[in-house]
Amino acid sequence: MNAVIPKTATEEALGLSLPHRRMEEWKWTDLRRMLKVPYAPQIVGADQKTIERMIKRSPFAHVKAKRVVFVNGVLDAAHSEITNGAESTLPSLMDNEDIARIGAVSGGKGLNLQLDGNVDQTIEIIHVVTEAAPRLVGVHHRISVAAGATATLLETFIGEGDYLSTAIVEVTLGDGARFDRVKVECESGKATHLSHAAVVLGANAVLRDYTFTSGAAINRQNGTYRFAGQNADARISGAFVLSDKQHADTRLVIDHAVPHCTSRELFKIVLDDHARGIFQGKVIVRPDAQKTDGKQSCNALLLTETAEFDAKPELEIYADDVVCGHGATAGELNHDHMFYLKSRGIPEAEAKAMLVSAFVGESFDSIENEAIREALLQFSATRLKGKT
Amino acid sequence: MLNINNLHVKLEDEDRVILNGLTLDVKPGEVHAIMGPNGSGKSTLSYVLAGREGYEVTDGSVTFNGENLLEMSPDQRAAKGVFLAFQYPIEIPGVVTMQFLKVALNAQRKVRGEKELSVPDFMRLVKDRAAKLNVSQDMLKRPVNVGFSGGEKKRAEILQMAVLEPSLCILDETDSGLDIDALRVVADGVNALRSPDRAMVVITHYQRLLDYIVPDKVHVLSAGRIVKTGGKELALELEANGYADIVENAA
Repeated sequence: MNAVIPKTATEEALGLSLPHRRMEEWKWTDLRRMLKVPYAPQIVGADQKTIERMIKRSPFAHVKAKRVVFVNGVLDAAHSEITNGAESTLPSLMDNEDIARIGAVSGGKGLNLQLDGNVDQTIEIIHVVTEAAPRLVGVHHRISVAAGATATLLETFIGEGDYLSTAIVEVTLGDGARFDRVKVECESGKATHLSHAAVVLGANAVLRDYTFTSGAAINRQNGTYRFAGQNADARISGAFVLSDKQHADTRLVIDHAVPHCTSRELFKIVLDDHARGIFQGKVIVRPDAQKTDGKQSCNALLLTETAEFDAKPELEIYADDVVCGHGATAGELNHDHMFYLKSRGIPEAEAKAMLVSAFVGESFDSIENEAIREALLQFSATRLKGKT
Repeated sequence: MLNINNLHVKLEDEDRVILNGLTLDVKPGEVHAIMGPNGSGKSTLSYVLAGREGYEVTDGSVTFNGENLLEMSPDQRAAKGVFLAFQYPIEIPGVVTMQFLKVALNAQRKVRGEKELSVPDFMRLVKDRAAKLNVSQDMLKRPVNVGFSGGEKKRAEILQMAVLEPSLCILDETDSGLDIDALRVVADGVNALRSPDRAMVVITHYQRLLDYIVPDKVHVLSAGRIVKTGGKELALELEANGYADIVENAA
């Protein structure tokens, strides 16, 4: 018998039950309690000037790329260079996933991209949410990179006002494909951003996945990565730069289903004021997945005593010939480093900014495209200046 | 230039007194060597002058060009011209040496009301100074002191000094960990900076460094006080007889 729990205002508006703290995966991000506004799905328009102003806020504005713009969850053909994504034949990886369930309520569609042949291209999807009444806005992209193809995807989230944004991305990498994904979450400071990226890697596929998290009041990002063919290699990294009462929770599941694959996770988390950062990383090594090489590491820098960091590494290893490790650290700025910089004449605030930048910067190492890395470094420096 | 008067310093967290009535006057152009056995307070003196946290001044004063040095933050002291070459230079991952030098120099110039150096002017300055100290371009591109050998770290410290051009250089055991060739390079770098407006306080345990950086005065520090002062020949005497005689006579 189910006890009847009264629905919250948000749940009423969405017509479903939200994840809550009694669910292990959600114990630190109790959406039922945290979301208070009735975010009913609603499509609203926006004027050209606003759209253009917001597009310019993308950190990748000067990076050469094909651009696709979604405004309030709807493809904006006028500002997009790709408008006719091929019909997807991908089965959804998202059945029963919590965030996809919420996203489905939005009715939002997304790009269906099949990247094949000798494509070596960068595509930027800019998601813009304009100021309007609180609502749910969502997208659901499906991307497949053909065997041997190379592609780079930039995902940018920019918004104003109070809203709930969902972003679902499903990616399938063919054998020997190379895919670089860089996501920047700079949603409105009043917004909630929920996303789920699911990637399946074929044999010899290479994935470089990077997420920069800094905008939304509440951020929850799920990532599931499954090795389906041998000798594939995935680097999943990212940074959080949070202040005030921002809350960000990233949960990754790396599924080593086959032997001889390599995974690396590196997250750098900067927390100021009352911010809270959470990193949950699960690595599954299936019984057949011998010679798996998996490492996970997560470092938090707490700039105040009121910031909070939680980490939950989970290793589920069913094979016996593997190398797997995890490490999480949390600390404050190193006093000796601070003194050294100050003793050379660098004032306190500037010294602090340099050290925080250096800390975050380590997470950018896996981004090989120099223009993209530079753009992100610049963006990160600006965010840090605004936050520390 | 530097006037230390009856300085008493203890550790902030414990009751241990480290400097116990230290008095020292350093005039522009002079090079003072401070020698003493381990634990006599040599490094504490350098840290207190540079403004490191963790020490409490319980008595006495330190003025620098007539201003109260102890009231200034470490970065203010640096902008006024105080430079400490660390005994153990700290590695700072992620902060590129070149960038660090540029930020430091321009921060100091800004405080002094001078214009920031243009990038080409700055590059020229650093290249010129680096060449004289055998500091490679590769080292300048690496994060501050990260992966540097002991000798490279010491040369990098002197490079910083040469670029920042302080008026008071405090060298804390700059000779430690250096072989004779590296010592010579470092000493040449220091000697090149000697000038009538610049003073140096050279802290060392061994006399060897003073063969290369010849001091005007040598002080022996023991139990937090200067117990003997002499000319450069005092260093040779210490080398021959050790600290025991002087320290015992003073006690």
